[in-house]
Amino acid sequence: MKYFLYWGCSLEGTGANFLVSLKPACAALGMEFEEIEDWNCCGASVSYAGANDLAIKVLNARNLALAEAHAGYDIVAPCSSCYIQMVKVNHEIQEDPELLKQVNECLAEGGLKYKGTIKVRHIQDVLYNDIGVDRIRERVVKPLNGLKVAGYVGCQSVRPYGEYDSVNKPVVEDRLLEALGAEAVPFPKKIQCCGSGIFLPEIDYCMKLVKNILEDARKHGAQLISTVCPMCAMNLEMYQGRINDAYGTDFDIPIVYLTQLMAVAFGMDLKKDAALNYNIIPPEGILQAAIG
Amino acid sequence: MENKVNYDPSFAEEVFRNVDAGDEIKMCMNCGVCAGSCPLREHMDYPPRQIFGLIRAGKREEVLNSQSIMLCTSCYTCVVKCPRAIPVMDVMHGLAHYALKQGYVPRKDTAAFGGEFWKQVYRLGRIDEKDLPRRVFFSGGLIEGVKGMLNFMDIGIKLMLHRRMKLLPEPKIKGIQSLRKMLDKAERLGKGGAIA
Ligand code: SF4
Ligand code: SF4
Repeated sequence: MKYFLYWGCSLEGTGANFLVSLKPACAALGMEFEEIEDWNCCGASVSYAGANDLAIKVLNARNLALAEAHAGYDIVAPCSSCYIQMVKVNHEIQEDPELLKQVNECLAEGGLKYKGTIKVRHIQDVLYNDIGVDRIRERVVKPLNGLKVAGYVGCQSVRPYGEYDSVNKPVVEDRLLEALGAEAVPFPKKIQCCGSGIFLPEIDYCMKLVKNILEDARKHGAQLISTVCPMCAMNLEMYQGRINDAYGTDFDIPIVYLTQLMAVAFGMDLKKDAALNYNIIPPEGILQAAIG
Repeated sequence: MENKVNYDPSFAEEVFRNVDAGDEIKMCMNCGVCAGSCPLREHMDYPPRQIFGLIRAGKREEVLNSQSIMLCTSCYTCVVKCPRAIPVMDVMHGLAHYALKQGYVPRKDTAAFGGEFWKQVYRLGRIDEKDLPRRVFFSGGLIEGVKGMLNFMDIGIKLMLHRRMKLLPEPKIKGIQSLRKMLDKAERLGKGGAIA
């Protein structure tokens, strides 16, 4: 199965462990990826400060148009912020012919045109619906043996259209974790926002959000937190030290990407494929113990 | 008994005309679900529901100066919960953009961050994760810039040591000129700025 992989601006940087682990883990399941030639940034969620809504739509429509002109594969966006931007713009364009016309007027300035035929998918969506938990389970050679994982979904990963999972009670991530042999612990804060893209400028407020999420995961017995978004991963992992300083807590919980756990359970190399050495709070010990 | 309602439609009309998604608030029934579900509500001077009420009451200064319109983390909670299907988040973003255009700066740091973010998208077509914070920190002047850099140095170093920092500068995308033309056109064609 072939897809466009839209990895956005952070997956070669702060989210590198996501991209590095995603490629071999997905290849092992028969997925093939192509890059959208000369793709641009999705605008993330703070662009409104500098641009009007139409400009942000056009920015995303350029990627959709490039993908459509080249081949009609679905676009898979591992970053939840990229996913939500593209999926939202795509919906709005597809549902409003007037808007499509306006967007195309702008795209024409660069010789592009979008017909509206592309589908944008989250990585969890393709894993769950195209590949399926059975095929994933079959591929597992080193099951995670009941490792207690809090599947942190975050907010943007499933919203706002609920295309592949419930927006209020998502289950897909837990099912995928279970397919790897892990135990998905119940975790009420699994869709509580982590502060997302405004963490840096609003650090004091956002630290509190993250503290609540970490506390909840720990209270429910999680040994690890898994995420499917580079911003969630960054916010949950990087600031644990600061949160400890500010609140007198002692958090030291590894934050891993779902695809890192896949690579581990598929018996791949813990560094080269699972990119565990990219993590700042090391998850190797816990994972080694789980897979025995 | 006389029913006295303070209603001044002039600002509401300004919002409907000029703010992205601004006309969506016409459907708001003030139930407060958006405010109740917002993760940063306790830090907001006026949660979304109240912002909409203030718009209807003609309170232009209060709305365009409000902290809350720039405290939105874009989590979509209000959007999925609103019983009237109002894209509350889009209205918050629209209001923030409009306020900034009119010279209000409700949250200085977020305004600088978002502003630099978009400038970089316009300049390169992509984001350079190591360059962006530097520009944000120094947008407030040299001293603030150095302070900001020092404050986040530990995080930068950790990321670098763990191979999570792209070391080369992000080059411009090939189609940058044509992308800029598209975005310029969109700025002219869309709402979100001028008072009309
Ligand atoms: S949830 Fe919707 S209808 Fe209720 S106050 Fe908020 S915007 Fe208005
Ligand atoms: S999208 Fe913004 S306004 Fe809506 S709930 Fe989230 S933070 Fe609050």
